[in-house]
Amino acid sequence: MAVAIKTKRTFAKAGVITGLIIGGLFAGLPVLWMLSTSFKSNGEVFQNPPKLITSTFSLDAYTAILGNGTQLRYFLNSYIVAIAVTLLTLLVALLAGYAFSRFNFPFQKTINAVIVSVQAVPPITLVIPYFGLVVALGLYNTYPGLILTHMVFTLPYAIIMITAYLNTLPKELDESVKVDGGTGWTALWRILVPISVPGLIAVGVYTFMISWNEYLFALTLTRTDDMRTVPIGIQMLMGQHSYEWNQMMAMSILGSIPVLVLFLLFQKRFIGGLTAGAVKA
Amino acid sequence: MAVRSTRLKRVVGAVTAAAMVAFVAACGGGDSDDSSAGGDVTLEFAQWWGAELPAGELDKIVNDFTTQNPNIKIKLISAPYASTKQQLVTGAASKTLPDVVGLDGAWVNDFAKQGAIADMSKLMTDANYDSSQLASQIQLEGKTYMIPVVNFVYPLFVNKDLLTKAGVATTPKNRTEFLDAAKKITATGGNVKGWALPLDTAVPNGIQNDVMSWLWASGGSMLADGKPALQTDAVKSTVEYVKSLNDAGVIAPGSLTMKEQDKVEKFTQGQVGMMIDSLAHVTLIKKNKPDLKFEIAAIPAEDSYTGKRGIPYASWGVGISNSTKHKAEAFKFVSYLMSQETNAKLATLANGFTGNKNAEPDFSNSDPLFKEAFEIYKDSVPANEFVGLPKSEDLMRSFDEQLQLVLTGKTSVDDALAKSQESWTSVIG
Amino acid sequence: MTLLAPPAAPPAEQAAPARKTLARRLVPYGYLSPTIVLIVVLMVVPIVMVISYSFRDNVIVQENSVFAGFANYTKVLTDPDFLVAMKNTAVFITVSMVAHLVLGLTFAMMLNTQLLSGVTKAIFRIVYILPWLFTIAVIAVIWRLLLDPSGVINYVLHSIGLINDGVNWLGDPGKALWAVTFINIWSGYPFFMISLLAGLQGIPNDLYEAAAVDGTNWFQRFRHVTLPQLRPVIISMAVLDLIWTSQQFALIWMTTGGGPLNTTEMLSTYTYKQAFSEYEFSTASAAAVIVLLLTMVLAFFYVRQQRER
Repeated sequence: MAVAIKTKRTFAKAGVITGLIIGGLFAGLPVLWMLSTSFKSNGEVFQNPPKLITSTFSLDAYTAILGNGTQLRYFLNSYIVAIAVTLLTLLVALLAGYAFSRFNFPFQKTINAVIVSVQAVPPITLVIPYFGLVVALGLYNTYPGLILTHMVFTLPYAIIMITAYLNTLPKELDESVKVDGGTGWTALWRILVPISVPGLIAVGVYTFMISWNEYLFALTLTRTDDMRTVPIGIQMLMGQHSYEWNQMMAMSILGSIPVLVLFLLFQKRFIGGLTAGAVKA
Repeated sequence: MAVRSTRLKRVVGAVTAAAMVAFVAACGGGDSDDSSAGGDVTLEFAQWWGAELPAGELDKIVNDFTTQNPNIKIKLISAPYASTKQQLVTGAASKTLPDVVGLDGAWVNDFAKQGAIADMSKLMTDANYDSSQLASQIQLEGKTYMIPVVNFVYPLFVNKDLLTKAGVATTPKNRTEFLDAAKKITATGGNVKGWALPLDTAVPNGIQNDVMSWLWASGGSMLADGKPALQTDAVKSTVEYVKSLNDAGVIAPGSLTMKEQDKVEKFTQGQVGMMIDSLAHVTLIKKNKPDLKFEIAAIPAEDSYTGKRGIPYASWGVGISNSTKHKAEAFKFVSYLMSQETNAKLATLANGFTGNKNAEPDFSNSDPLFKEAFEIYKDSVPANEFVGLPKSEDLMRSFDEQLQLVLTGKTSVDDALAKSQESWTSVIG
Repeated sequence: MTLLAPPAAPPAEQAAPARKTLARRLVPYGYLSPTIVLIVVLMVVPIVMVISYSFRDNVIVQENSVFAGFANYTKVLTDPDFLVAMKNTAVFITVSMVAHLVLGLTFAMMLNTQLLSGVTKAIFRIVYILPWLFTIAVIAVIWRLLLDPSGVINYVLHSIGLINDGVNWLGDPGKALWAVTFINIWSGYPFFMISLLAGLQGIPNDLYEAAAVDGTNWFQRFRHVTLPQLRPVIISMAVLDLIWTSQQFALIWMTTGGGPLNTTEMLSTYTYKQAFSEYEFSTASAAAVIVLLLTMVLAFFYVRQQRER
């Protein structure tokens, strides 16, 4: 009996590992090819038969990017924008989530529905009026223009998640502060925020990723090199007539590192934060 | 709990402060003034040329200008062609074009009609500019909106090694020879095909460069008195010829979504034997595949044709924003770009031909192919009927869609041309 | 989850003076004000502008536009290309969503297994989220490279004898829609997967233990414990995924541009072409409003789903 269970477990384990490897190939091979292309010379990209590692393996593409002030500036811009978007989104969404979770007020449902349905607006349809608006507000080709724009797209999901997270926390927690003479504001910052850290991390990582990789508005709302972000920088390597394949891939790999590091650092809490928001609501 | 919450409060406080700092810093970072103190003028010059010239060369040319004109500063806004186009379209729509803009002949009509680019005829008169030195001007209703700075011709590129391997001794000069050569190259096997035809509809330039070029090479026209004339024998024979190439299986696979970049890539890799392409690509091809042996030739014409051949061209054009406050200064910069010396320098760097009649590119240091191309250019008539047409990209796309139907056997050549004629008429007619 | 009403205000507040009550009533709006300002200025205003464009003719292109009533809508709705785009979009978003769900759930369950050590699972988690790390422009480019008729995928399929000639994945009208859908599946499943993984980790273990005591097999536990517990996450994610996928523009534009023969034309690419190459900003706006209404239907279901929970 015990042996039978053990063999069954071994089989199940083998099955899961096989499944994971197949899925991993599906997920990872294109990225591996990206990595391999970043080490090739442009002439070898379409080489037939294709090779994973070519004779001219080199890091030239990476040194070219890291040695180029303009490209580094794109990285700096992406950091500034994504970090500002993340922090501001968390702040604004936290306030909104607190209102939705802890208050009962007229038009609550309507406002909530509007915020939720804003997600449904296809960005491509807004580009033209949006561009005019941003120019009129004097925000064209500025960090605030891009930051506020990204926030409009990251806020709805952040508010939904944070509200859900706050809903999982018993109301008695903040009532206890109020009994001690504190206000809702102190309850939010003293009690709710500290215990919401996993949820905030989940939302923060998500927001950072969206902002870091956003392409359409970053392209439309910036025009000079001192404002452009990494996705646009990658696109800059696609000329009218040719692609800088190796540099494009190298820049993508470099560009994915911050997001990967964030995920590595926070993956436990990221998933944990989503769990609370997703299920217990 | 109390300790923990105090610490976190601090963290949160710090984070909020950091966000504010980032935000305030950001607010300060993005300002760009039109003009700075002391009467100096800063002109923004948006173009895709910087991305195609050797790094830093456009900056040098601009620096020379600012040395001569210390009160005018030029801020370069360089991006690749597609991004430049998207930004100029949004800029034109909201009347916020940069002061000086790089233009493609295909955009001029639309921008001019939107009132986004300025009438330069007036500026030329005001500046007492001698316009006879200009090789060409793109006009609309008698007013000049764009001046071609550098012109690029699109000859036929032939891979010598593949041609020899296929047993073809001479470079094809007419359509029959071309089909024959393409078939023989394809017959050499592997993944090698005779010709590449990029028909991707996102950027449907293939219609201009790779399809209509056959028509223009034989002296044909797709317009009659400025109106579409697609149901002519000349256009029909062109489309039928492309179809015959397709039916013969000599076109590289994937052509329905192939982009111009892919075409060049395939030629460079020796996967196609022949292509029609911009002369500007010679340097790129040599850089990526130094050992590729290729030559250039005029685009093959109809077998019986003996007249002057049309050769497709594309331009780096320049125009001036209608909303700029510094039109005179902007024109000063334009005339600098068109001056004999600067124009020759730009053309040489870009491997193109000059927009100033008196300027001649210096071939002494460039590839012998350019000298050869210059001879071909002088023997032919530059032809690009899409320049100056309204919604030209849309015209190319609707023609492209019909051509795709023909190539996939879903419609006949006659029906496709009738449909294209109809949709073109609704735009131009 | 967002719309769960908190319990009624404590009686002490009702007894407070009227002025204080008013101030108290305004408190939630105070908390909401940054969100409201941002969304009204940067979202509601442009939407209203698009709607007004859609009822006018020659907007932007000419100085004086004229009121056109529903003409732009009639034009769009009778355009065969628009109807094709609608059909393609429906196929694209439904297939993507179902595949995201199936893949996401399968991967999430494998990553949640008790059979493997934490380190192994962590490594696989990283591999599985890889597609999420790249900006869409790069995803389009790398897949064009992989799917090229003489690219590496065809090479591999050819070497193992599955195909004879190079398959034209993106250039063949019969395959292109499936090819772009496949790319979208690849690029979009990780978030679905992570959310489901989070959901799985939230299912209390005692539910499984109780089921195991009852002598149920794996499949029965999956059907009677896992699925019902995940239902809310699955529904929310499915609706969000439909909404997000319907907005996909750059991927299509940079792989096929809507071709060949309109087989991958989506509502987003259709709108883009109307605006940026035909300069028909009025019809583009009308198309945008129609798309907006359609996505609003999805959003409505989403809100209702939230409300039920």
